Amino acid sequence: MMQDYFKKMRGTAQSAPPRVSHAEVIWSWIGAFLGIAAVAWLSHLLFTGTDLTLTIGSLGASAVLVYGAVRSPLAQPRNLIGGHVVSALVGVTAWQWLGGDPWLAQSVAVATAIALMHLTRTLHPPGGATALIAVIGSEEVHALGYLFVLIPATLGPLVLLLVALIVNNIPANRRYPEVWL
Amino acid sequence: MIQHPTETGFERAAHPDETAEIELSDADILEAMREIPGYLDITTGDFRALYHLAYRHALDRLFQGLTARRLMRDGIIALRPEMRLADAIALFTGQGLKALPVVAPDSRLVGILTVTDVLRAFGVSDVLELIEQQLTASRVLGAAPCDQAVARLMTTPVVSVPPDAGFRPILAAFNRHPGRAMPVATVTGELLGLLLRKDFMTACHLEGPG
Repeated sequence: MMQDYFKKMRGTAQSAPPRVSHAEVIWSWIGAFLGIAAVAWLSHLLFTGTDLTLTIGSLGASAVLVYGAVRSPLAQPRNLIGGHVVSALVGVTAWQWLGGDPWLAQSVAVATAIALMHLTRTLHPPGGATALIAVIGSEEVHALGYLFVLIPATLGPLVLLLVALIVNNIPANRRYPEVWL
Repeated sequence: MIQHPTETGFERAAHPDETAEIELSDADILEAMREIPGYLDITTGDFRALYHLAYRHALDRLFQGLTARRLMRDGIIALRPEMRLADAIALFTGQGLKALPVVAPDSRLVGILTVTDVLRAFGVSDVLELIEQQLTASRVLGAAPCDQAVARLMTTPVVSVPPDAGFRPILAAFNRHPGRAMPVATVTGELLGLLLRKDFMTACHLEGPG
C-alpha cells in the first residue's frame, strides 16, 4: 500500500503537453498586454485619489488562463467571473470573522474558496489568490469590506473578459469562450 | 463453476483489451495535441482515460438493446455429465452445433463440451488431422473413447454470460476464450440458452456502426 502511495509521486504521463506555436505565444502576449493595460488604465482613470483599485495580483494569474490557455475549462467566463466573486466573498468574510488569527483566516479563506468554487462549478485558480488578498491585503483593502467583492473582484475580471472576447476571437484558429455558463 | 465477466467501471479503463480499441500512446496524443492550436489543459493520461470511457459509452449507445437473451438460441438439448461420448456426438450432429453446454440433473450449468474436446478424446487436434490419419490409414479410429462420460471430457469452469449482458460483456467473454459458443445462464447457474459467436457477429454487423 505504501509502495502504491509513493509510486504515484513518480507521475504517470510520459511527457507534458507540447509547446504551443509561435503564433499562439504572440497572441497570448497581445491579449495579456491589452487586458492588464485596460485594467490598469481604468483603475487609474476611475480610482486615482481614492482608496479603490482594480489592479490586484490575482488578475495576473487570470490573464495566464484567459489569454494563455483559452480553451481551458478554468478560463471560461463562468469560472473567470464566478471564481473571483465567490473567492472574494469568502476572503472578506474570513478576514472579518477570523482576522484575529491571521494564519487561520488565510488558510480558511483559500481552502473554503476552493471548496465553494468546486461546488458552484466556478473553479478558477486565481480565485484562491483573490481570497488570500482579501485577508492579507493592505489596510485600504480591509477597509473596503464587501465592496472588495465588487471592486476589484468583479469589475477587474469583467475588464479581462471584455478584452478576451475582443482579442481572442481575432486569430482564425482561436476562439473564446468555449462555453458561457 | 460459472464465471460471469465482471464490470468495475473506471478500474477497467486501464485494461481496455476487451474491445477492439486501439491503445493510444502518449506520442499519438501529443502529436494530435500539436495539431490543435492553443494550449490544451489536459494530460495524456486523462485524455486516454476519457477516450476509453467515452468509447465504451458510445458502444453501449450503438448496441443498445443487444442482449445475450435476444441473441441466444434456446430450446437446445444440453448434455448431461454422465452421458456417454457416443450419445453426445449424436446430439452434436443432430442439432448442427459444435459446442453444447453440460447441465447437471438440478439444471445447473457445469461445463461445456466442444468439438475440440471430442477430437482430443480421439487423440487428434483438429478434423483435418483426423481425416489425414484415416486417408493414410496410419491409424484406425478406435471406439474406446465413445464410452467415456461427458463429465470427464468437458471444459470446466465454463465461461458464460447472464441473459441481460450487453455488447461489451459479451465481447469480453468471447475474448476470454476461443470457443465458438457460450452458454447464457442466470447468476444461480441455470442454463437459459446458447449464444453462438457467429450469431453475435451477425448482430454486430447488422446493428453496428459500420
